[in-house]
Amino acid sequence: MVAVTQSAQEQTAEPGAAFVERTVEADGCRIRYCEAGQGDVLLAFHGGGGVRLTGAHDLLAERYRVLAFEVPGFGDSPINERLTSQRDVAALMHKALASLGIARYGVMAHAFTSKLGLWLAIDQPDAVEALVLVAPSAIKLDTPRPKATTEAEKLALLHAHPERLKHPPPPSPEVDAKQRATVERLNGPTREPELEAAMAGLKLPVMAAFGTRDRLNPPEIAHLYKEILPSCHLMMVYDAAHAVDVDRPEALAAVVTDFLTLRDRFLVNYESSVIHP
Amino acid sequence: MKAALFSSARYTGPAPGGWPVPATDYSNEIAQQTMQRALDQFRLADEVGFDWVTVAEHHFAPFSLTPNPMVMAGALTQVVRRAKIALLGATVPILNPIRVAEEFAMLDAMTGGRVVAGMLRGTPNEYVTYNVNPAESRERFEEALRLIQMAWTEKQPFGWQGRHYQYRAISIWPRPVQKPHPPIYMSGSSPESGEFAAKNRIGLGFAVTSLPLAVKAAKHYREQAAIAGWTPTPDEFIYRCTFHCAETDEQAWEDVTANAPKGPRVGHTMSNQALEQAIAGTGYYGRDIDNQRERLMPGDLQERIDTAQMLLGSPETILKQVKKIRDELGAGIIDFTLGLQLGAKTMKSIELLGTKVVPRMHEL
Repeated sequence: MVAVTQSAQEQTAEPGAAFVERTVEADGCRIRYCEAGQGDVLLAFHGGGGVRLTGAHDLLAERYRVLAFEVPGFGDSPINERLTSQRDVAALMHKALASLGIARYGVMAHAFTSKLGLWLAIDQPDAVEALVLVAPSAIKLDTPRPKATTEAEKLALLHAHPERLKHPPPPSPEVDAKQRATVERLNGPTREPELEAAMAGLKLPVMAAFGTRDRLNPPEIAHLYKEILPSCHLMMVYDAAHAVDVDRPEALAAVVTDFLTLRDRFLVNYESSVIHP
Repeated sequence: MKAALFSSARYTGPAPGGWPVPATDYSNEIAQQTMQRALDQFRLADEVGFDWVTVAEHHFAPFSLTPNPMVMAGALTQVVRRAKIALLGATVPILNPIRVAEEFAMLDAMTGGRVVAGMLRGTPNEYVTYNVNPAESRERFEEALRLIQMAWTEKQPFGWQGRHYQYRAISIWPRPVQKPHPPIYMSGSSPESGEFAAKNRIGLGFAVTSLPLAVKAAKHYREQAAIAGWTPTPDEFIYRCTFHCAETDEQAWEDVTANAPKGPRVGHTMSNQALEQAIAGTGYYGRDIDNQRERLMPGDLQERIDTAQMLLGSPETILKQVKKIRDELGAGIIDFTLGLQLGAKTMKSIELLGTKVVPRMHEL
């Protein structure tokens, strides 16, 4: 296992404190991103709630140069009407990375942006080295998903133990409405034959991580990714709900680090079992 | 109601007390006889109508020669042709959960779907066996159980990033015959266990306890199940107690009093007080420590009968005691434990219970 030394509990600063906020221009669009760390580049794409830097991002930034991009239409950024699908967003992100002089990178995409991550890997095979999907929603069943209206219900949907966490304030009603509209516009249908056909031709290694207590994208749908993607590793993160990176930051960061570093070789345990030499 | 026959395959030769028990007086011959006798008794139970036969895991003591009950259950698949084979159970927190999932699936395949999966934390002393911290027992149990269920049901290879367990690829063969998986029971004597079982719709087994303590624990479990939106049926409750049955009450009493060890019966944990106190200090017992320790304390014969820890007498008397357990606890399954090994008398006891009590239990 690749060592991930700092636990979230040991961190004294707020998650993401080491990240610096920057912007990059691409296709006439200003894109916000947060950056920390050095080394190989890891792009982190957020879920439907927008950018939230977590202990997992901090731990990954100990080994990688992590760039957490914000999809236009989230946070304070304006809606970009030219973007009509996550494939469009993927193309825009690749241009942004080119502007930053970044040619090769790993991708970690959470939930809503899992289609973005997949399209980036499909359309930029020479650039994307490995792909991690966290609580992915690229393939969904047509069964009704649980709804949450109150803030407490939303937190209960996102987290296995919301009572144990310190939560950031919810977005303003205006930002929330804008983000919801962006998700609605870019999300696409529950099953996309074009995407799934392209996924079937994807050669790069993919890890799809699911929280065992995720009720939005539950582990029961994980097999679909394994059945479609030629080189997919399913990873169940125990006692995590939808916000896997918030609920189990150390667990997620450790396995993502192993996977990105070792790729398919991450199946092997390299730790010594010698207790006393 | 259903009836199970439980044998720990107790070694019947001389052995010192305490725990762990030194093997200074161990005899291969007696051990082989012990295990063969257990197989013979289980075969008889199957033939005379018991619904289940039960094996369990205990270590480092002559009380049980089945430290791996899966091995005994494997032998039983070739001996017991009708009854279900219940493992009550695997001591999950000290084991490799994937191995547990594989072994249960093997047994379910070998029996055509007649396995009952008991998932237990075990008695406190078991944590010394494989050098596992008893303070982490409950967390390990809960995670291992979730992992085992997923190993049984997920058909695609998957990895597991847990708190106590980590695997990169799991895909067990063979698969359980019963769908989605064999019925699961866990020990329910502590409030924490009852709450977890209720929340996860898992059946409860009561062992090394008394009827009053089991009733109290079952009440808590039912209350928690109601909160979780379901109502346990009698089949969700197993009550384990020792028994001896003879043609008459007088004969049964004579059999037992003439052969039982003098003085109160002391279990593994309480036979090593220093160990017990050390484990209690880790928080193993949870928030109900007094009752959890009380149920491990030794008791004399009359006290054990009064509290339904032992059923003793003629078939008619034992049936009355069974009805009392049903009425007070609502248990649907009695796990009759072979306490004393009295040769032909024990075989007769099994036969009497199977032919004269079990059919009437089925009507209850």
